[in-house]
Amino acid sequence: MKNNKGSKLTDSQFGILLAIPALAVFASVILYPVINSIIMSFTNQSLLYPDREFIGLKNYIEIFSDPNFFAVLKSTMIFVVGVTILSFTLGFIWAILLNQDFFGSEFLRGITLVNWIIPGTAIGFLWMWIFNGQYGVLNSILKNLGIINNNISWLGNTKTAMLGVILARSWQVLPWFMALLLAGLKGIPRNHVEAARVDGASNWQVFRHIVLPNMKFIISLVLILGTIGAMQHFDIIWVMTQGGPARATTTFAVEVYRRAFQDFSIGKAATIGVVWIFILSGFMYLYTRNLKQEDK
Amino acid sequence: MNKKLFDSSSVWFKLFFGFSLIIVGLFVFFPLYWMVITAFKSSSEAFSSNPTFFPKQITLENFKNVITNMQIQRYMFNSLIVSITSSLLTTVLAMYGGYSFSKYRYTGRKSIMMLVMSSQMFPFAVLLLTIYSVMQTLGLLNSYFSLILSFTTFTLPVGMWTFKSYFDQIPDSLIEAAKVDGASRLTIIHKIIFPLVIPGAISTAIYGFVWSWNDLLYSLTLITSADKRTLAPGLVLTYLGEFQSSWTEMMAASIWVSIPVTLMFIFLQRFFIEGMTAGAVKG
Repeated sequence: MKNNKGSKLTDSQFGILLAIPALAVFASVILYPVINSIIMSFTNQSLLYPDREFIGLKNYIEIFSDPNFFAVLKSTMIFVVGVTILSFTLGFIWAILLNQDFFGSEFLRGITLVNWIIPGTAIGFLWMWIFNGQYGVLNSILKNLGIINNNISWLGNTKTAMLGVILARSWQVLPWFMALLLAGLKGIPRNHVEAARVDGASNWQVFRHIVLPNMKFIISLVLILGTIGAMQHFDIIWVMTQGGPARATTTFAVEVYRRAFQDFSIGKAATIGVVWIFILSGFMYLYTRNLKQEDK
Repeated sequence: MNKKLFDSSSVWFKLFFGFSLIIVGLFVFFPLYWMVITAFKSSSEAFSSNPTFFPKQITLENFKNVITNMQIQRYMFNSLIVSITSSLLTTVLAMYGGYSFSKYRYTGRKSIMMLVMSSQMFPFAVLLLTIYSVMQTLGLLNSYFSLILSFTTFTLPVGMWTFKSYFDQIPDSLIEAAKVDGASRLTIIHKIIFPLVIPGAISTAIYGFVWSWNDLLYSLTLITSADKRTLAPGLVLTYLGEFQSSWTEMMAASIWVSIPVTLMFIFLQRFFIEGMTAGAVKG
């Protein structure tokens, strides 16, 4: 391709130039902090004094010999798996229902998304109120149904607090799963479905042999992104429990925040961050492979 | 022909349909209903061991307390500045970046694209460690700038990908034709291409706004004084940690902070859903 008049740049130089502003902020706000975290993880850097020393693998050794770290790992896993399974399943069911185009389905889809749009802080407040041990509506409903006899302090109990934050976060992301899966359902070629129907296929067979195979890409995408999102999640947990009681809901995000901004030991926070990124890299690989397939 | 994906005349489907509609419907809508209902209750009615599902008496007291709280209005103002600026910035940067990814071929394009996209997965809490230290060194802690720069960057990957998928749908022949007519590359971009992707721009702008509006982690740490504080941490610091939480007012405040994003969403819903799914599904 020939150069345009008035410009001495080749097409590909011009193309790179267009992307440079975006890539510059990207490099300074994302790439540099990632690299710097790796460096910081080998230091005793603190937020309280400017000097830092390289201490080799000391942070890593301390973290891997700290039972608290494994508790955080476990809490993160429970939170991530719980949220992803719950919101994916309910979101998928919800998408299937709303895809049937019944009276009012458009409207329902609209208000469902409100849950996803509103601030996590508001969602945290709302669920704290629902789970409130004294005046909470959940206790009241369960008592009226005869399921429990005495009020439960849901968020004050190490056994139930995790359930509370999982429900709240699932409530928040269900609409996101629903919207993407609904788009996937709408994209299923109708002639395949018609043909199967003519052959006498049942709903289950249509689901199993047409819907699922056609939605493989979108299902894997939402599962990967959903998992990563849950692992990142901070707001609702912080508002509802601050990671407590007794660290029961302390996930990676909460732990990194605590180490850095409450204990001021940014080096240790970075070490946990590096381990976290390492765990995530498997998901990143899956995700980019998915995207590459799409960018043919 | 039956246009529905699943045959709704079968008994099993009707059962599944009815059952799920009730269960999932309750889970999705009841909390929202509860938030609204509580916000209109008096505290004496809300703090009873047997809550009422319809308020006996509707009061605007809670909203009045929230709206006349000047500190909360200050937080709201700060949130508006930060969210509008980062939303516009990210839209502009993502537009050029997305165009570059979509219409130009250069060495390293694919690797850069994948790096940008996978960056969504770098934990924000971890990035914050460096961003905080750097802002501290530069004396930029407690500035709008620190938040705007962070939010703009974090929403860029999705924004660029959204734009890319819109640009991908524009045929190259259109660009070639304009070139033959003698239009310069920048004229083509600004006069011919960008007007075609306005839906993508709207969807990216909403995404950027909502992200910045809702963030808690960054605004909690990078902002240290009440006059610059945004809504999310503002509400947390206002209402949590009190001896006795005033739940009715908290629900009113939660509705109050949700209004801007919800209104935006209601009016621009079409673009939003289109953009949200554009990158993910090709149909």
